[in-house]
Amino acid sequence: MKNNILIIGGGPAGLEASAQLQRMGYNVILIERSAQLGGHLAKWDRLFPDRVPADEVLGGLIHATEGVKCFTDTDIRAINRLEKSYNVRLTNGITVLSDALLVASGFDLFNAVRKEEYGYGIYNQVMTNADLEAYFKTGRDKRIENPKKIGFVHCVGSRDEKSGCRSCSKVCCATAVKQAIEMKQAFPQADVFCFYMDLRLFGRHYEDLYLEAQKEYGVRFIRGRVAEVSENYDGTLLVKAEDTVASKPLKITLDLLVLMSGMRPSASVKELGEHLGMMVEEDGYFAVRSGIAAGQRSPQPGIFLAGAATGPKTLPETLADARAAAMEIDRYLTEIFPDARNYKQLVKERW
Amino acid sequence: MTPLINLLAAQAEVPEVIDRIPSGFSYFVIPFTVGIVFFLCWIGVGCVRLLRAVPRTDRLRLWKSLFIPKTAAKNIKELFCDCLFHVKIWQRKPLLGYMHSAIAFGWFMIIILGHIEVALFVPARLNVTRGGLFYPIFYRYFVWMNPGHTTLRGAFFFFLMDFFLLYILSGIALAVFKRFRSIVLGMRHTTKPSFADRVALYSLWMIFPLRLLAESFTADLSGGSFLTIPVNQFWHFLFGDKLWFMPCWWAYSICLGLFFAAMPFSRYMHILTEVLWILLRNAGIKPNHPRKGVAEAEIYACSSCGLCLDACPMNVQKKNLKFSSVYFIRFLRRHNEKKINAIADKCLMCDKCHALCPVGVDAPALRRAQRATVNNSLPYDYSYLGCPEGMVPEPIQTYSSNPEVLYFAGCMSHLTPRIIKSVEKIFKAAGVEYAFADRDGGICCGRPLMLAGKTDAAAATIAANKKMIQESGCSTLVLSCPICFKIFKEEYHLEGIKVVHYTQFINELIASGRLKVEKTDRKMVYHDPCELGRGCGVYLEPRAALSQVGTLVKASKEYDESICCGGSLGSLTLDTHDRAKISESSLDSLLVGKPETIVTACPLCLKTFSEAVSNAKYLTEPVQVKDFAEVVCEH
Repeated sequence: MKNNILIIGGGPAGLEASAQLQRMGYNVILIERSAQLGGHLAKWDRLFPDRVPADEVLGGLIHATEGVKCFTDTDIRAINRLEKSYNVRLTNGITVLSDALLVASGFDLFNAVRKEEYGYGIYNQVMTNADLEAYFKTGRDKRIENPKKIGFVHCVGSRDEKSGCRSCSKVCCATAVKQAIEMKQAFPQADVFCFYMDLRLFGRHYEDLYLEAQKEYGVRFIRGRVAEVSENYDGTLLVKAEDTVASKPLKITLDLLVLMSGMRPSASVKELGEHLGMMVEEDGYFAVRSGIAAGQRSPQPGIFLAGAATGPKTLPETLADARAAAMEIDRYLTEIFPDARNYKQLVKERW
Repeated sequence: MTPLINLLAAQAEVPEVIDRIPSGFSYFVIPFTVGIVFFLCWIGVGCVRLLRAVPRTDRLRLWKSLFIPKTAAKNIKELFCDCLFHVKIWQRKPLLGYMHSAIAFGWFMIIILGHIEVALFVPARLNVTRGGLFYPIFYRYFVWMNPGHTTLRGAFFFFLMDFFLLYILSGIALAVFKRFRSIVLGMRHTTKPSFADRVALYSLWMIFPLRLLAESFTADLSGGSFLTIPVNQFWHFLFGDKLWFMPCWWAYSICLGLFFAAMPFSRYMHILTEVLWILLRNAGIKPNHPRKGVAEAEIYACSSCGLCLDACPMNVQKKNLKFSSVYFIRFLRRHNEKKINAIADKCLMCDKCHALCPVGVDAPALRRAQRATVNNSLPYDYSYLGCPEGMVPEPIQTYSSNPEVLYFAGCMSHLTPRIIKSVEKIFKAAGVEYAFADRDGGICCGRPLMLAGKTDAAAATIAANKKMIQESGCSTLVLSCPICFKIFKEEYHLEGIKVVHYTQFINELIASGRLKVEKTDRKMVYHDPCELGRGCGVYLEPRAALSQVGTLVKASKEYDESICCGGSLGSLTLDTHDRAKISESSLDSLLVGKPETIVTACPLCLKTFSEAVSNAKYLTEPVQVKDFAEVVCEH
């Protein structure tokens, strides 16, 4: 008998895990809340560090899920824990009896309106990283009209206790450097500034990207947070920041300001947590079962976690997470799940 | 006719009251006398020391103020209303007010009446050398009423004494009850008493029941009224003819002695220091040190009543009780430097404890003074501002050569640009000729520095801003931030320039018809920002303007009882988690009337509430958070 596995979330983590589990011979059901598979990846144009098109990566991921039962526009209505399995009722009317669940609910981008001092939603010439990716994809945005001076603000809504988020969201530094290069490619005459607290370019080739931005594209990096933004009569932006290297406050007029909105826990976490009876930590992400080696196991037997559901992650990390989750699910379904007599004992020992 | 004359003559010969004990002394008065002498010496030395620590000019000012009729009248009024009748407590918590005034006013009357009785009946005993210190207190022990002589005069005083004793006893009963169930009297939290407090407290509880006991034992000898006579008859019924009353008088004297001996080290010191504090306060003398000079009178005037515990917004979490003003003052008295600093830095400076304090102790000012002792000397590099004297102010862009109004947004409004946008829109709609003082950035108004105790740095920014404003040639200065408003009003001394908050200015625009608004049935609640309400006394103008555009609903705590939003920049150390709890409690208060919109008139409150509303998980219906100008703009 093939075990049913329900995967919640059709982003990169969900897609990769379902492809892996499908290949192992399980019966995989993937549900996605929105109309489109791919999550944030579907909205992105190119990816750091190599600037490969996101469409190619996503296409590959979706192609590999051949045979997986995909339901888009579908959410969870109710979940019942049976003795070993989960009985999940979906909003499309289907009920799934699932032996393991994988939560890959992803993240939301920080709503930059909440950081009012940067003027997103108030001033015309302020946009977010996601807006800029949409521009790269479509080539249309009324805010971008041959800008002469462009600024990028790092850490918007991340590493910022005042906006309720202490943690780093990992991807924005490299994204900002990538987008700065792309803007410089699109508008070679423009001056591009990046305002950062410190640059966390931890991954392989990330540092190369940073050097390239400085050497080949002349992007200027200013260490210091932007304090406030105001609008001039002509619609340009007056940005006040502190240059902590020079120990001086600084004022600069820009034509375009891009806010690097950070990762925040997905809005669905709260609802999902209630359905699953799963703990959410203070930062709003799901708690992983305690212990550094716990991997993708949640505190609830039979429920696994992958991707940004457990905190900000880069795309390669998310994919690695998904593969690890597939391995762990396989181990659970072969070693623990089938032993009906000793199930509880085994869960106690090995979960 | 003769019998009457005889009777009168006989009365003239035999006094109404007979000094029962010729020496006018008994050993039981010793505990009380020791206690009161110790206490009076302490007070005397303390007063001299305190006044010597006050600068000469301030001392002169104090003496002079006593003879200025207006100040003198204010002094007398406040002495009666605050010290005896506790009017401020009555107004907010009647039962608690009754309790305090019963003990204070009742005791005061008993002391006064006791002295009047002595003055009337045995005037010689008022002399200190003949027992004047204790005789009036134990009058009932020393005298014997001539049985044939119960005139109206005597009975009148017996009645009054019994009446006030009963009045005090009812207050004491409430006080004892309050120890166990304070919430009934309107107090959620009460102060934790120190050791001396306990000694004084328990003796205070005992004094008046013992007085009743002692006086009732002697009531058939020395007279009594509706309270003491029946009790006296009861004792006779129980114990027969012979009553052994000495132990009661001893116990009464010991309790009084203990109370006075413990008083200087306990909260009850406020009974007398409050008088001094009122005189100093009304003379207009301000403390410049958190502990020395005038401040000493102020911190000893604190009655440790604990009303500030419930007032303090931090105390939504019980763990923060220790940061309340009452404990701050207690540690100031004890010179506990480490704790003082920690508590001083934690405060949000919302001023609510000051507003609600029955004694008018300005604890936030003391906290600021304490911060200044540490922070004022910290070196900071302000060289980029240019030195204060030679500072070049930002050029002001003007619409006309002589603007009617100068608008100063301030740092906080710049962080909430929707306020600036709305204010400018309103100015344009009303045709106000204005100049925007800090469009391209200005310098801090100085208030945050002041709150942090950095008074010198604040003075530098004030000087720079003042120069800039005076050179603009405007006649009205409009501010959209209450934090700026308070300091511009109080510290800038801008002669000839009207300093107004935008709520006042816009309200005037609406009232005079220059700004047309449309009334809707939008349900709104107005949050009083600390610095605008308690800080500057502006409560009515924003409400008047808002009621022109929508329907105002009430918050559970408003006007001077409004709860700080939690975002105050007054606190130097309070963490985000604690702040979030405060925001939550403030939101709860605002949402009782189920408003659609929360309106505030402070950029900091706006920012804090916007965040709090987006994080609030318990909100059932969505609530908008809007700025005052934004709302006016929308209508």
